[in-house]
Amino acid sequence: MIILNWRKSVFWVLMLLLSSCVEPYEPEVIQARNSFLVVSGFLNVNGPTTIQLSRTQNLSDQSMPIFEERASVFIEEEQGGQHRLWELGSGTYTISGLDLNVGSKYRLFIRTAAGKEYASDYVAVKQTPAIDEVSWEAGSEGLEIFVSTHDPKNDTWYYRWEYEDTWEYTSAYDTNLKFVNGEVVYREYGELGIYRCWRTEASKTIKLGTSTKLSQDVIHAYPLLSVPSNSSKLLYKYSVLVKQYALTREAYQYWETLKKNTESIGTLFDPLPSQLTGNIHSLSDPSELVVGYIAASSVQEKRLFVSNDELPKNWRGTYPTCVLDTIPVAEAPDYFETGYNMPVGEIMPPMGTVVTDYTYAKKECVDCRLFGTNIKPDFWE
Amino acid sequence: MPHFYRRFLFLIAFLGCCLQAHAQQAPLVISGNFTHVSFDAFVQTVEDQTSYRFFYDPATVDSLEVNLQVQKQPLEKVLQQVLAGTALKFAISGTNQVFITKGSPIQVALPDGFFERRAPEAVQYVAPPLAQAGKQSKKKAASELKLYEIGVRRENPTGKASLAGYLRDAKTGEALIGASVYIESPLIGTTSDQYGYYALTLPVGRHQLNIKGIGLKNTRRQIMLYSDGKLDIDIEEDVRSLKEVLVEAEKDKNVSGLQMGVEKLDIRTIKQVPTAFGEADILRVVLTLPGVKSVGEGSTGMNVRGGSTDQNLILFNDATIYNPSHLFGFFSAFNPDVLKTVELYKSAVPAKYGGRLSSVLEVTTREGNKKQLTGSGGIGLLTSRLTLEGPIVKDKTSFIIGGRSTYSNWLLKQLPNKSYNKSSASFYDLNGQVTHEIDSKNTLYLSGYLSKDKFKLSADTLYQFSNRNASIKWKHNFHNKLYGVLTGAYSHYDYAVTSEKNPVNASELTYGLNQANLQADFSYFHNAKHTVDFGASSILYNIAPGSLKPYSDESLIAADALQRERAVESALYVSDRIDFSRRLSLSLGLRYSFFNAMGPREVFAYAPGAPRSEGSVQDTLSYKAGDSFASYHGPEYRLSARLGLTDNSSVKLSFNRLRQYIHMLSNTTSVSPTDIWKLSDSNIRPQVGNQVALGYYQNFRANTIEFSVEGYYKTMQDFLDYKSGATLVMNHHIETDVVNAEGKAYGVELMLRKMTGKLNGWASYTYSRTLVRVNNPEAAEVINNGEYYPSNFDKPHDFTMVSNYRFSQRFSTSLNFTYSTGRPITLPLAKYYDGNVQRILYSDRNAYRVPDYYRVDFAMNIEGNHKVRKLAHSSWTLAVYNLTGRRNPYSIYFKSEDGKVKGYKLSIFGNPIPTVTYNFKF
Repeated sequence: MIILNWRKSVFWVLMLLLSSCVEPYEPEVIQARNSFLVVSGFLNVNGPTTIQLSRTQNLSDQSMPIFEERASVFIEEEQGGQHRLWELGSGTYTISGLDLNVGSKYRLFIRTAAGKEYASDYVAVKQTPAIDEVSWEAGSEGLEIFVSTHDPKNDTWYYRWEYEDTWEYTSAYDTNLKFVNGEVVYREYGELGIYRCWRTEASKTIKLGTSTKLSQDVIHAYPLLSVPSNSSKLLYKYSVLVKQYALTREAYQYWETLKKNTESIGTLFDPLPSQLTGNIHSLSDPSELVVGYIAASSVQEKRLFVSNDELPKNWRGTYPTCVLDTIPVAEAPDYFETGYNMPVGEIMPPMGTVVTDYTYAKKECVDCRLFGTNIKPDFWE
Repeated sequence: MPHFYRRFLFLIAFLGCCLQAHAQQAPLVISGNFTHVSFDAFVQTVEDQTSYRFFYDPATVDSLEVNLQVQKQPLEKVLQQVLAGTALKFAISGTNQVFITKGSPIQVALPDGFFERRAPEAVQYVAPPLAQAGKQSKKKAASELKLYEIGVRRENPTGKASLAGYLRDAKTGEALIGASVYIESPLIGTTSDQYGYYALTLPVGRHQLNIKGIGLKNTRRQIMLYSDGKLDIDIEEDVRSLKEVLVEAEKDKNVSGLQMGVEKLDIRTIKQVPTAFGEADILRVVLTLPGVKSVGEGSTGMNVRGGSTDQNLILFNDATIYNPSHLFGFFSAFNPDVLKTVELYKSAVPAKYGGRLSSVLEVTTREGNKKQLTGSGGIGLLTSRLTLEGPIVKDKTSFIIGGRSTYSNWLLKQLPNKSYNKSSASFYDLNGQVTHEIDSKNTLYLSGYLSKDKFKLSADTLYQFSNRNASIKWKHNFHNKLYGVLTGAYSHYDYAVTSEKNPVNASELTYGLNQANLQADFSYFHNAKHTVDFGASSILYNIAPGSLKPYSDESLIAADALQRERAVESALYVSDRIDFSRRLSLSLGLRYSFFNAMGPREVFAYAPGAPRSEGSVQDTLSYKAGDSFASYHGPEYRLSARLGLTDNSSVKLSFNRLRQYIHMLSNTTSVSPTDIWKLSDSNIRPQVGNQVALGYYQNFRANTIEFSVEGYYKTMQDFLDYKSGATLVMNHHIETDVVNAEGKAYGVELMLRKMTGKLNGWASYTYSRTLVRVNNPEAAEVINNGEYYPSNFDKPHDFTMVSNYRFSQRFSTSLNFTYSTGRPITLPLAKYYDGNVQRILYSDRNAYRVPDYYRVDFAMNIEGNHKVRKLAHSSWTLAVYNLTGRRNPYSIYFKSEDGKVKGYKLSIFGNPIPTVTYNFKF
């Protein structure tokens, strides 16, 4: 008979109570003839507007997303002019240098290559107030990042944020060697190293905030994201660029429903998924489903840097686990040919002058470019 | 008084051997002059002249002097004169024995008709002296052997007379509910009501009254009924059946009762059904009954015959309970130790009840022990409970008080995981009841209930909710045929959500509901053919639908409060139960309900016919305090009929209409603590439901096996559904976010039940459908193109088996099995990219289903010995919930994580859950 540590058994009892069990699930294949138009993007008041058109796919469909190409896409002002967007490929259409009138209303008009016409509702242009502060705190779980803003005119009330986080990292081993044309040579002086890199990721969750319950239009320390204290993102320097968008009430509701339907779901008290109604309609067939919501606003940005020495000393980041091995010089060409391994250093016998062996490691331990870029971003401090 | 006793003993012996010598002789006559003679001398003279022999206590006659002249007078006349003006009475037996007693005369003859009816038990014992007869005198009958005379003694009585009284537990004095009282030939019977009161109309004459009840020793009383009278009966508890179920009461109610669609559970039944946390849970057991479903484990909300969770009236000692659960629904809010019975009406709801569309769940607590102080309790893995009960004034006033609490909070603190030990979860509940018997005609019941829950799932938001209820009931017996109950009750429910992590957003959201009821119910037993119930009730609602307040000094939260809602709901009802013959009976009922929404209030008026939105507000109407700004009323029909086919089978039919004026708003699948109750007003119409049900009932093997089939068809109008993305909290114009839905439900329920014997339990199968449609112009959106779609709890096939096997008096096991079709869910139809993130598009509402559900539970009850004199009786319950460990999906959902759509299956109990509970009783 196993005598359980009592703490463990208490934990076990509690797990029975609190932890329900969640397993990955693949449903019976839901096949529907669906290929609805998806419109993503927004009308940017103070920068380039980029709209992407694509089609929905069956859940089980493993192929690449289908983009809607060769469509004509216009921004139309209510009782005003029309601006055509340029097609960039992959269903992306863009226009820059457009000055949208804050007092007017605009819509997006689409004519597909097949001749079907779609348009969004006319939407008011929202001016986004500046971000007051992007702050951070070393919390108990990790680095927590907050955004604060306010609208002195008390006119915004609904906000959405996106962010891009960038961090500096290194590979496990620094090397002054490279394998070129079948031989191991020294890296040239001034050549960009492959030891130090930067990686950027865009936010993948919907971040929404509202100040409607407050007496003033203030967002104070909205928790935007948190980075676990053991994350490899925090080994050197970490940066986050926050983009803020002002929303209309309707746009906020759309994003909130989308968030509820696709992110905040799965616990006992979560709301049921509900029908998501955007503001884009087919002009020829009103019953046709079109996915997406077009809003017009300006964008406000602010960047934050946090370097490792500002963080608590007891935070242990996760370093890559790598093993260094050796290989005789003669075997090296064949060995490095596949590209799985890369040379790290030279081994000379004591008092010797001839390199007899190379140390080597797996590529992911040497070449940081596998996960990011070794070109230092412009904004990097 | 040795002299007297000797004579008395002799009398007994004499009567014993000479019962058959009960022959009438010609009266003897007496002559003589008596002046200033002692009674002894008078007796001597009479005994010399005649064969009369006197029996008396000399002490009672020592001061008596006889002054009389008689000529050939019969002894009766002489004695009448002699004893006139004294307390002495005489009786003359058939064998010329004369008994002189003080106060009341000795009964020297058995009642008329005593030997006419064949009563085998009656001849096995020596006929005892007959109990004293007297008009309307109330008796407490505790002996099976004694013959109780009821009413005024008459010669050759004929016709019918009514008999009524209370059934009480001999040990605790507690009223016994639902025990059957009947005579066998002709078969006339009734069951005791919730006060233990019974009333019968029987042919006058001698009867053997049988009394049977759950957990009671089957007993009988010999009665001689002359005219209307009362008989209270004390019955002993069957000690052996401490845990076992013996639903002998209403043994043939399945077939012979007029009620259909009613399920009654005794606490003993409830206690043996295994539950996830070892604590007897009435709501879990109710969920095993046919026609009752829930969306899944971990939600106490129940759906009765396709009705939504807010359509159940949950009464706890006549006070409405708004949130019957603890700890996210894993525990029910009722302490099993104080409970007595749970009764669920799912089709023919009596006219007395109203206000909810689908069902009435009546939970009654026990009365305290009237004889001595006792207690009981239990210790489980997560909760413990203790109950004390006893007399305040012996045999008159008693109390019972019970409490329950959990140590989950302490357990959470012990956890190594940070997110768990920052969480907290606790609850407690307290029940109390005082019963006071003012006199034989008046009884007073006071009852109180308090429950509180508190939980914090991460370090930030604290949820709290609480129920507070009180009720007072006065029962008055006007006479044998009429009694009335006056009930006053108060119910309160509130919740608060506080968040204080971010000082600028620190807030407190509160909701409160108050309800006061006053109700008068009368029952009139007109005669054997008619039983009339009538009464009136009124409910005053006062709801604070929401208030948001800053919760710190720095908080910028703008204080906001929704307007209070006030309303009065009243009803009048009358119903008559007519028994045409033994085969055919009918119950006709009408309830008329009125609802008035009252000011002060500002109400938006919307453009008629247009979708309701803030844009379609045409006017804001303002009403002063006391103004009624919206009123609804309507009849509610209650009809049921029974046709007995044979002695063991019958067909029943019922129709009823119900109206509901209070609605619960919740857009989660399960009942959550932050659900809001909203009253009807000028923008929200009351819900109306109709149900017609037809059933066939048959009992086999001397009523030990019951079989029933019930089919029903039900329609529901104007219940509330929600628009996509509806805001239900702090919404000043909630009518723009809800839509009126209509529903229909139909199904067939089969049930086979065996409640006696070593193996007992029930098995039921239900086929049912529940469909909803949202299609009206006031809704800005139509769901599923205005077509009918399955509701969240539409589970067509459902099979449940609850079985118990008793190996010995001290060891029994139970095994339960449940199967049902998976519940409907809305699944994603398609995926797409929004920028770099994959997202999903949902299908029509509830177009798919989760996989089927099945679960097996097992429990063992081990009892201590049944010695009567023991410090405490105890028992152990070992149970395993979900024995096979099947991961029954509660929901299936898809989430965008790291930009990819992933599917998950959530099961609430994914492993077998063993529990141990120790129960005691002292």
